[in-house]
Amino acid sequence: MKLRAKIISGFIILALMLSIAGVWSIFELKSMGKTVLGFLDENYKSIDATKTMIEALEREDSAILLLLLGDRQEGINILASADSLFKSGFETARNNVTIAGEQTLIDSIKIQYQAYTHLWEKHMRDNRREENLNRYFQNFHTPFLDLKTTLRALMTLNHQFMFRTASDLNDKANRAIMPGVVAVLAALIFTALFSHFVHVYFVNPIIKMNKSIKNVLDHKAAFTVEIETNDEIGELASSLKKLSDLFKN
Amino acid sequence: MNINAVFRYVGIVLLINALFLLLSALISAIYLDLALRPLLYSALVTALFGVFPLIYVPPSKRITANEALVTIILSWLLSCLVGTLPYILWGGEFSFTNAWFESVSGYTTTGSSILQDIEALPFGLLFWRSVTNWLGGMGIMLFVLAVLPSMGMAGVLLARAEMSLIAQENFRSTVKSTLKIILTVYIGLTALETVSLMFCGMNLFDSITHSFATIATGGFSCKNASIAHYNSLAVELVIILFMVFSGIHFGLIYSFFFQKNKKAFKGPVVKYYLGALIIGVILMCLNIYHTVFPELFQSLRYSAFQLISIGTSTGFANADSSVWPPLSQLLLLFFALQCACAGSTSGGIKTDRIVMVYKAMGKQIKLLQHPRAIFTVRLGDKIITDEVLMAAVVFICIYLGITFLATALLALLGMDLLSAFSGVVAAIGNVGPGLGSVGSTSNFSQVPAVGKWILTAAMLLGRLEIYGLIIFFQPTIWAAKQKPM
Repeated sequence: MKLRAKIISGFIILALMLSIAGVWSIFELKSMGKTVLGFLDENYKSIDATKTMIEALEREDSAILLLLLGDRQEGINILASADSLFKSGFETARNNVTIAGEQTLIDSIKIQYQAYTHLWEKHMRDNRREENLNRYFQNFHTPFLDLKTTLRALMTLNHQFMFRTASDLNDKANRAIMPGVVAVLAALIFTALFSHFVHVYFVNPIIKMNKSIKNVLDHKAAFTVEIETNDEIGELASSLKKLSDLFKN
Repeated sequence: MNINAVFRYVGIVLLINALFLLLSALISAIYLDLALRPLLYSALVTALFGVFPLIYVPPSKRITANEALVTIILSWLLSCLVGTLPYILWGGEFSFTNAWFESVSGYTTTGSSILQDIEALPFGLLFWRSVTNWLGGMGIMLFVLAVLPSMGMAGVLLARAEMSLIAQENFRSTVKSTLKIILTVYIGLTALETVSLMFCGMNLFDSITHSFATIATGGFSCKNASIAHYNSLAVELVIILFMVFSGIHFGLIYSFFFQKNKKAFKGPVVKYYLGALIIGVILMCLNIYHTVFPELFQSLRYSAFQLISIGTSTGFANADSSVWPPLSQLLLLFFALQCACAGSTSGGIKTDRIVMVYKAMGKQIKLLQHPRAIFTVRLGDKIITDEVLMAAVVFICIYLGITFLATALLALLGMDLLSAFSGVVAAIGNVGPGLGSVGSTSNFSQVPAVGKWILTAAMLLGRLEIYGLIIFFQPTIWAAKQKPM
């Protein structure tokens, strides 16, 4: 291989190592960014929606108590607004099904909430004033707790997934950093090796040839440098040898 | 020393590594897993480092013995180093120390692992793990000989450093024929075992990776429970058969199967190797019958697999032998120290040296009775000189000395004695699993980081027959001027 190609090959190898590591790191960082966005878009939205549903459910529970205890109009008003709040939260959660098992919980929440709504709608139409809490505990308390438990399960599922995603992010960060670290270390070792070869195969022969040619000129000594490589330095050594032979003759 | 010539040959070894990294990347691409980028980048970096010395350093047909030795040792060390690249680029459980441990364990065919969940790794990385076992078993330098036909006498030197001296005593051949023998036997056995395992119901990927690990006597499995995962008698029988074959001198296997030499396995070393395994299995079977397993057949099945796995330095497991009675554990420790025949991919002290020491002991006892008599020690029809006997005894002493020193260091780090001692015995013998907390169904993840470096040093010392690595670090080898061979 010729001198120019040898030198260029060193730089090409260095550039290849660094540029590929750079591209890979950028790719991993972009992928990290996407994961963070997905993390916020999907899991955080679901958790927020679940919190809204729990809050709405608790307000509905309070409204039912007001209804049963005689404050009928106030109970109906709160129930209407809490129902609307629950439904908006449910819609958000329903449109953000991203984890295995999440759809089952959403379906379960839908069925449980429909049953719960059916219960208090029936009591909204009933004009009797009961004024005792027995009917609340008999009819409303257990479905309320069951629905709340399902909502909490949905929140736990999303929390767990968030923790897993956070752990994946750690891995992704490592994968984004490591190619750079490997490339920098490899480039340092490679530079040392490149410098060694340049020294041994380019600089040393030139110094030796210079010394030998001075000996030829000053003392008419023989040109003794022998170069093993098959490049311009080797050719130069062979030409100088011929030249020194001519000079001596 | 012409260090540039060394760089050139090491470069070729790195290129071979890069080729297998590329193959692993291909597996990763086929299975569409996430290891593709780490494997491709590792292949690229390794290939660039491999090709660079070839651009600059002109080929040299003659190298000195020291250069040959430095080439061998540097090839091992650098192979282990580039072997860490896919692991550290993958991340997960792999810190640099863990990646170094896994890589050295692979190349030295030890088979110890730091992984707590092997099955979580993508297929490409699992394949690479097995490849490190297989490459290590083959002896990277023999690959070098395959692509360096122009080296002349240098080739002989490389082969001498790679194969134990005793193996050469037992089997003499030229480098070219040694290469032919090793390639034929190694690839042949790997292919045969792959097909046999597939017949037993194992899928292609598992069959290949387990064959790589068996023939190399490495023991890396792609399953968390190792061979116990399959719970298949047929699979265990096939692996037992190939583990036994892999523990025999490859030249003898070649001679038996390809040259139809029926006396090949009748030498004293092979007889002792097979006899010791049979006696060991019987003793262990009787020991665990009733105490661990209620049925005799079960006892025989598990004792045979565990003992042969340790006795050939493979390290697969089909049961948790670390909870077996003390006699069984002692037998496992003995076989982990002894291992199999020289000239195989097995590690440890090797049966050849053990047989020689037995004979030397016999000679010594006879000399006590007849002080003026002259006795000769024979191995088959060959007379073993006192020099060779002394070398075997000295080797065993150094081997045990290093084992005790490393055990003391691990104990200092807080490991319990059984785990520390058995871990070191398993590392220096290139066996794999030890006992206690580093037993056959456990792993080395809980060993402190410094302990992992001590164990990897023991693995390398064991793989390079101790003397190789010691000589490499002596300053005289770097300064010495020798005539090329």
